[in-house]
Amino acid sequence: MTAPIPTSQTILVVGGGISGLTVALEAAECGKQVILVEKLPTLGGRTALLYRYFPKLCHPVCGLEINLRRLKGNRNVRVLTMAEVVSITGTRGDYTATLRISPRHVTAQCTACGDCAKAVSAEIPNPYNYGLNQMKAAYLPHAMAYPQRYVVDPSIVGTPDGEKARAACKVGAIDLDMKEEIIELKVGAVAWATGWQPYDAAKIQPYGYDRFANVVTSVEFERMCDPHGPTGGKILRPFDGEPATNIAFIQCAGSRDENHLRHCSRICCMASLKQTQYVREAYGEGGKSTIYYIDIRAIDRFEDFYRKVLQDPTVRFVKSKVARIAQDDKTGGLILHGVDTEGYHRYEAPHDLVVLAVGMEPSVKGADIPAEVIADSSGFLEGSSGGGIFGAGCASGALDVNRSVQQATATALRAIQVVNKAAAAEVAR
Amino acid sequence: MSDPNVSAVEQYRNNFLREVEENVDEGQWVKMCMQCGVCAGSCPLGEHWEHSPQKLFMMIRAGKREAVLSTNSMWMCTSCYNCVVRCPRQLPITQIMHGLAAYAHRLGLAPKMQPTRDFSIQFWENCTRTGRVNELRLTIGLYFRDGLVAGFKKGWSMRNVAFGLLKAKRLNPFELFKGHECKDRKGIQAMLKKANEIDARKKRPTT
Amino acid sequence: MSAVGEMKTAAYICRGCGIGERLNTKQMAMVAQKEGKMKVVREHDFLCDASGVQMIRDDIANEAVTHVMIAACSRRAKTEAFNFQDVPMARANIREGVIWSQPEGAAAQEVTQDMADDYVRMGCAEVKKMKLPAGAPVASQNRRVLVVGGGMSGLTAALESAEAGFEAVIVEKQGALGGWAAQLWKRAPFRSPYTDPVDTGVAELVAKVTNHPRIEVHLNATLAQTSGAPGAFTVQVATESGATTALEVGAIIQATGFTTYDIAKLPELGGGQHPNVVDQAGLEALVIAAARQGVPVKRPSDGGEVRSVVFLQCAGQRDDSGKHLPYCSGHCCNTSIKQAMYFKDANPAIDTVVLYTDLRTPGMGEDFYRSGQTKGVTFTKGLASGVAAAGNSCTVQFRDFILDEDTSIEADLVVLATGQVPNSGVNIDIPEDQQPAVKPISILNLTYRQGKDLPQLKDGLTDSHFICFPYETRRTGIYAAGPVRRPMDIAQATEDATGAALKAIQAVENAALGRAAHPRSGDLSYPIVPLEGCTQCKRCTVECPFGAIDEDEKRFPLFNESRCRRCGTCMGACPVRVISFENYSPDTVGSQIKAIDMPDEFSEKPRILVLACENDAYPALDMAGMQRNVYSAFVRVIPVRCLGSVNTVWITDALNGGWDGVMMLGCKHGDDYQCHFVKGSELAGYRMSKVDDTLKQMGLETERVASYEVAITDIARAPQLINEYVAKIQEIGMSPMKGFA
Repeated sequence: MTAPIPTSQTILVVGGGISGLTVALEAAECGKQVILVEKLPTLGGRTALLYRYFPKLCHPVCGLEINLRRLKGNRNVRVLTMAEVVSITGTRGDYTATLRISPRHVTAQCTACGDCAKAVSAEIPNPYNYGLNQMKAAYLPHAMAYPQRYVVDPSIVGTPDGEKARAACKVGAIDLDMKEEIIELKVGAVAWATGWQPYDAAKIQPYGYDRFANVVTSVEFERMCDPHGPTGGKILRPFDGEPATNIAFIQCAGSRDENHLRHCSRICCMASLKQTQYVREAYGEGGKSTIYYIDIRAIDRFEDFYRKVLQDPTVRFVKSKVARIAQDDKTGGLILHGVDTEGYHRYEAPHDLVVLAVGMEPSVKGADIPAEVIADSSGFLEGSSGGGIFGAGCASGALDVNRSVQQATATALRAIQVVNKAAAAEVAR
Repeated sequence: MSDPNVSAVEQYRNNFLREVEENVDEGQWVKMCMQCGVCAGSCPLGEHWEHSPQKLFMMIRAGKREAVLSTNSMWMCTSCYNCVVRCPRQLPITQIMHGLAAYAHRLGLAPKMQPTRDFSIQFWENCTRTGRVNELRLTIGLYFRDGLVAGFKKGWSMRNVAFGLLKAKRLNPFELFKGHECKDRKGIQAMLKKANEIDARKKRPTT
Repeated sequence: MSAVGEMKTAAYICRGCGIGERLNTKQMAMVAQKEGKMKVVREHDFLCDASGVQMIRDDIANEAVTHVMIAACSRRAKTEAFNFQDVPMARANIREGVIWSQPEGAAAQEVTQDMADDYVRMGCAEVKKMKLPAGAPVASQNRRVLVVGGGMSGLTAALESAEAGFEAVIVEKQGALGGWAAQLWKRAPFRSPYTDPVDTGVAELVAKVTNHPRIEVHLNATLAQTSGAPGAFTVQVATESGATTALEVGAIIQATGFTTYDIAKLPELGGGQHPNVVDQAGLEALVIAAARQGVPVKRPSDGGEVRSVVFLQCAGQRDDSGKHLPYCSGHCCNTSIKQAMYFKDANPAIDTVVLYTDLRTPGMGEDFYRSGQTKGVTFTKGLASGVAAAGNSCTVQFRDFILDEDTSIEADLVVLATGQVPNSGVNIDIPEDQQPAVKPISILNLTYRQGKDLPQLKDGLTDSHFICFPYETRRTGIYAAGPVRRPMDIAQATEDATGAALKAIQAVENAALGRAAHPRSGDLSYPIVPLEGCTQCKRCTVECPFGAIDEDEKRFPLFNESRCRRCGTCMGACPVRVISFENYSPDTVGSQIKAIDMPDEFSEKPRILVLACENDAYPALDMAGMQRNVYSAFVRVIPVRCLGSVNTVWITDALNGGWDGVMMLGCKHGDDYQCHFVKGSELAGYRMSKVDDTLKQMGLETERVASYEVAITDIARAPQLINEYVAKIQEIGMSPMKGFA
């Protein structure tokens, strides 16, 4: 990759998850210059943290590998990691974006040999496993990380550990004096693809996420089921580390709820249906999954998958929004209280583990985007008054991966239209 | 005066939902329920409900007028507001339950001898008479609602509490005969009369 | 300086990342020089550093080096540093593939060094057989986008292409543009506020398209024939009169939409039985007719007042009996809410009930659902068992799931929310003699050898199988958009059409530069086929997953480079091995297989060839190395573009050459296939099932060739599979073929 020189014909893509990558690659493969900005040290976003995709149960990193290959082979994309957009000013076809680049403390010379990680002893919570385990403070985010370059956590800079990391690097790639940088870019169009974050489950008070060890979120459960996750793929009760075989999935944990998120997050039904199959994979007929739901939203072709899970004898469906969870403080076991509304049946159901199918909210809500944009009542981006800033993927609405990519591909074209018109205007001048 | 129940049936025919919307406090919220059932599960007295709130809403939509108005379910509500704070559609369920109970009572369809209803009636009569609640009379009234023998039995079983209260000067036996009252008893009653009139107008906008 | 065209090879051996400490790099350099016959051989302490890269660049510039072999890290690492566009390059994976996947210590030293030496031999052998891809010959560079279908999707695709500066042509079967959207009174809202039905916007869109200087519209027209390839399609547009016009276009978007499911197939729900039972489209027609007269919607049976309407969701959809549509059409819940609002907005006294099993209003649709409730639409969770219609009234029998009872409801009008049936043309995967009695009419009339239309995925939908790549059809340069691909509403269809327009534009750009489309985007290599050796066996034309190969009039395969995805399935299929890519051929792999130093029968060092899919199995092994997951030092791994590109000659060569076993690691096939070339791994499986006979003829055990499905996440499992396989081979014993090669 060589660095494109930013001009009004450059497309700025904010966010390096599947949507941002898609906008960047689709536009670049049409011959456009793209700058791809990612806040974290690696591209891949949340899809890189998924064990499998619904409905095929294939592995998200397979597609990531294809996209990274496309990226490595394309000279039109310049990638800036650990960079955040501070402001965007200007008008359609002529924006100035200000970026803040945080210090990685590791230069491009890094060969990802891992000697620095071996040298340091300090550990930090691993954000790629939602903090469920610890990792060294000099780290490669994950095996598929791109750029394939280590990061030295700021917490060890200026400590003996930092010095150890520097000393261990045979190629001199560690620079502990690296400082935050502010840069300005001229761009013609912006694709805002900052994605989503799980709704804060602790806010759903009756479910006790902040009080009960065995209540986890769907994103944490996803990591738990991944053989490369914090439990090595074992489905365990955090309370005592014992196998969890009787698992409850609570749908609409935050979504479709005026007290939390007003919208339906679309993906959670399919995600829970998928996760029941992880339980089956782990325990066969010995596992038990119960989905507590209001409506199962297995939209269009996904109906197939729903039907398959319906036929699975290890999975039970209860039409009910669980009212509250109680914990047996001795065993950590959980009792779910509620009413099955199909015929009014009260239940007090014991479960080993409760998975909250948490809703999706924009990582950066409309009001927090440092540019003039239009957002809906949940903070998803609808567009910009000037017409040159576009929401892509989950920044624009609650979408699954397939729809995010579809939407991001459309966004790439809209951005191209803007820069093509800017180019035509320049020629005319 | 015609039977309010008969006239309501005539007026709304097959549309019980509209009847509820127009006559029950916060009744216009019934249609907003999406049948998640969190109210039913959140109620601390839930198991005593023949029909849960969410089910009552569905019954209202399905036109099950008799079953809804004659059930004692909504009389179970103790106004803890658990359901209200948890309802994802923010329905004022507690208010609707009281509204339904009151409407059933007004139409004369509420279950007879329903303890909550009895208590409500006695309490209301007790406190509106003098403008102050006479606790002794209210208690005795409740003890004897199931008959003389039952009343004495109940009183006897509570004797220790009563003596304790007497000793602590929290219970004055002479209240039984006269009792204290508020300063402007006539004024209070005039206010209540007026409030009743306003309420009656509000409840029956079409009549 | 050497003469133009003369090959000058160079090998660079990196000593960084512990390679220098773990291995005798001098020996590797010697191997490169003596056995690999490399003209220039250099070692470097830190090859990917600026000084190392500069050294290579200088050799290319000053020493006329034409071919570069780098023995360092995996080909997946340090791609920015080792980026030499002007020379063919091979990379021997010494870091992830050797020192990181082998245990440290003296005991393992010898076999680890053997491994590294072999990879150097293989890299040298490979690079000598590689040429720099020149890019497919550019036949034509037509940049116009053809859109088949003039509904919401097609109009959007054409307009968005034109707004990006490209010319577009719409071919529409009907006499007017607008499609189904033009038959709607209003549409569900698609941006805030999500409260009321809104204008369809179709009239405005039609006007924009009609007046656009870069858009040409053909009405009452169909495609009589489509031939060619991206950048050079020729289509014959036929009009009603029978006249045809030839058009040259660069890419095609199929936006042929859907047909509503025939309600006559739902007699139990009153469909086709009574005028007061209509489908959603029928209701739109009633509402439009009433609106034109400025009167409320009338009961079809007698023109009487409509006081109650019941909407039955999922009518003939989500069906598991096999009689109706198995899928959910996605839009119908919102559509019924919208239609109930038609009534409620006009007259709140009209009762409207939506009978549903799962109400599906994703995203902000939840607001629309709430708005429907606010307007007094009643939602009942239940399933209709029958509709009895007589006179002017209908009785809907249903199970009320909440009240747990069988009950009924009276209605003046019943609306069946039936689904979308894609207009996808002929299912080319069904043999001619098994086609349905009423043969569907082809949409594209492709002259492709593999069939007239886009291959269908499932249930007649022309969707992509890939979650990450929703537009990837199996016909390069032809993209499906809108409900033909997947059931969807207008909002999604317009997004979809915009994305498809981008892909069409991209296909045109790729074709113009002679480079591949997804997933080997940008690849400039293409199949080169000297026909002298071709036996006309037709395997390549049949097996190409992308229908890229036709037949010429002499029955030779006719390769259409810009339709090709460069997977190499044809190369794997060819029994006479005449198909090759400049940088990937029977020779580039075959020479590696022959290059290794084969230990003798008594060495106790078996050699196992691993052919690994470069997208999944190979990265899995790389990551295994990164995590120091140890696997046997007896394997030699060669990445392949796809298992479909594996030619059986490689297997027989390996076995004849004394290799003790061959392991093929490819992607999952079957219904949920993960092969990104669709059929590659499946074909490989099929071909390998025939290898057994060959093995028997050679007097070898059938276990000596094995295939495994490996996912990219099999970081622990892949090494385990290798170790188990090696153990099995050791148990069987060394190959008797050693020493004969």
